Amino acid sequence: MTIPKAIAIVFASAVMAAMPAVAQQVGTTTAVNPTSESTPPGGSTVALTVGARVVHKERIHTTPSGSAQLLFLDRSTLSIAPNTSLLIDEFVYDPNSGNGHMLAKLTEGAMRYVGGKLSHEGEVTFSTSEANIGVRGGTVTIIHGPNGTEVINHFGTITIQNGGGTIVVTRPGFVVTITNWNTPPGQPVRVTAAEIEHYIKYLTSKFGQNGGVAGLNNIQLAECGTSSTKACPEPPWLPTDTGENDAFQVIIQATQHATGTTTPPAPPHAPPDH
Amino acid sequence: MVPSVTLLIPPGRRATEMMQVKARRTFWSRLAGAVAPIAVLAFSEVSVSAQTASDFAQNLNPLFQGVLARPGNLSNTLQYAVGASQAGDIESAISTYEQLLFYNPKLSRTRFGLGVLYYELGSYDMARGYLQTALEMHDVTPELQQKIDDLLALIDKKLQPDQFTGFVQSGVRYQSNASLGPGSGTALASGQNFNSAFFARPDWNWFGTFGLNYVHDFETQSGETFEASFIGYDAQQFTLHQFDIGLMEVRAGPRFALAPGDVNGVTVKPYLVATGGLLADAPYYGGIGGGLTLHAKAGDISLDPYAEIVQQSFRNSTLYPLASGLGGTLSTYGFQAFEPLGSGLSWQARAAYAHASDQFAFDSYDSYAADIWLPWNVSLGGAGRPWTIIPTAGVTRWLYGAPDPTIDPLTTAHTTEWRVGLGLEIPIWEKFILATLVQYRDDLSNVAAFSMRDLSVTAGPSFKF
Repeated sequence: MTIPKAIAIVFASAVMAAMPAVAQQVGTTTAVNPTSESTPPGGSTVALTVGARVVHKERIHTTPSGSAQLLFLDRSTLSIAPNTSLLIDEFVYDPNSGNGHMLAKLTEGAMRYVGGKLSHEGEVTFSTSEANIGVRGGTVTIIHGPNGTEVINHFGTITIQNGGGTIVVTRPGFVVTITNWNTPPGQPVRVTAAEIEHYIKYLTSKFGQNGGVAGLNNIQLAECGTSSTKACPEPPWLPTDTGENDAFQVIIQATQHATGTTTPPAPPHAPPDH
Repeated sequence: MVPSVTLLIPPGRRATEMMQVKARRTFWSRLAGAVAPIAVLAFSEVSVSAQTASDFAQNLNPLFQGVLARPGNLSNTLQYAVGASQAGDIESAISTYEQLLFYNPKLSRTRFGLGVLYYELGSYDMARGYLQTALEMHDVTPELQQKIDDLLALIDKKLQPDQFTGFVQSGVRYQSNASLGPGSGTALASGQNFNSAFFARPDWNWFGTFGLNYVHDFETQSGETFEASFIGYDAQQFTLHQFDIGLMEVRAGPRFALAPGDVNGVTVKPYLVATGGLLADAPYYGGIGGGLTLHAKAGDISLDPYAEIVQQSFRNSTLYPLASGLGGTLSTYGFQAFEPLGSGLSWQARAAYAHASDQFAFDSYDSYAADIWLPWNVSLGGAGRPWTIIPTAGVTRWLYGAPDPTIDPLTTAHTTEWRVGLGLEIPIWEKFILATLVQYRDDLSNVAAFSMRDLSVTAGPSFKF
């Protein structure tokens, strides 16, 4: 190691140690529609901007026109709807082992969490005043309002626990409603298409907004069925499941066992006996 | 207090990684800038190296770090979205596509991409939601709308408690050797006369076939379903009616998820199977049995191993007087596999070992079979559906248990069948296609009567639903 490099490392480490609150970056703000605000621990509330660091104990608040997306170090994301307040209470992540945990409190509004490495370890929990919601391997939409909390499972195993009991949701497309902390969570029921469409539109930019990044006017993403990507999903069907192959095998076998069993007819012009 | 992420990285390793990073990224030029940003950069680039060591998608890490550092860099974010999708990191791809949707919510392709990704995740409600909203966008092209409509139809089925999928096909077939028998000059070593009705002769036939898969979803959180499949096949020869054949096969049983909530989790299905067949318009065989099959995914590969035992009985007739000797137990162990590849290409494969324990040792056999199909969707341009070309190849090896006294009393038969084919599916209208198949079979056996060759050409309309 050269001396300048060593100095740089020592210097950088010293700076990090001297700036505990500032350096606790747990993610990045990847999209913001105004007005969305952020309050770091011990700091004042500022407008959230694209590229802003997300830190430990940070509070995020969105106004009726505001929305945001946060990307965390474990590759998970939070999409935050308008009129939402949440606190990134804890986020600890070891990129080597993939271990750590995340705890966030949703005090108002709606959010969608798309899982990363921590959720694959079952170490992600969201809390509202009605329940603690554990996420394993998953993707979930959580809505918290005056009538309680609603949890829509999109993928993975969601464990909802409060003072009234615990319920586990493993099927995508099922929703659980929790009315208060002391009432057991309701049974999972299928979410309606209308509700899904509502939250898809609610948890992204409105028309006319650009999430803080202008200039995306066209896009060529990896979609199915193009010359450069995989095939679109199709009903499972193997070409051999037509019965044809079985028929061929039956005939082969039948032919093989019938070839030597019949005496051929007598020649048509057999010579007369003498 | 040091950031918690940094604390968890071994100090020695961290120093080494920082040295590597510095060498690559001209650390000194950064040191000349502000002090605090240096600390942050050093911290974030430690994560780059540390993740590289353990992450399956190593090449995605620089792109991911780019998104973290500069999310508004559209080029980098797009590359990461595509890379994550192609690497099978579906959740990261979803996260990034949703990020892009924030930047422009009017792009139908972003919504379609999200629909496909959520579909792959097994989240059909979200997939439908994104696809429905994609249709509302002004930039949706006819070609994209076609794909969306197809996928929505598939999703609608999957969201029903009772789901039906299947196909129906009819057509004509020419075979150079409709009897699948040996050439006319073949003599039997047993000394018996060869039944000339079974010599190789060409013929045409009309055929019809259908397959129906039924799934009942009990909509429980543990994901139990009941599944049934029906396959029917009938072929009527133009001339050689001793080979008119009809087959029916039914399999049914419940399926259980061993890891509910895991879209890639293993499921298991015990099932009952019933089969029956007519030959020369007379009852020929029937069978009943059971089996066990699993379904698992490893990356993009779907794998379905199975084990099945069927008790079969055959009925003698004038044309087939020794058929009853084929009765016995057929045990089959094998697997099917499927993987979508890039460029519209996918592969399907099947391999199986079977043991037939029949009434007579000379009818009993062990067989080893393997087949592969390479469906390839080829777009001919425009908004039309792609054509599908399906090259196929397969081999089966039969090893019989004893010499057949009616054929060759001194030789135990072993036969190898090679088969190659080329299928072409041409879209006609909606779900109707024209399906054609050219197939060549060559059976090589140490018993002359078991050797044969056949070229078959099949064509007819098909309907998939």
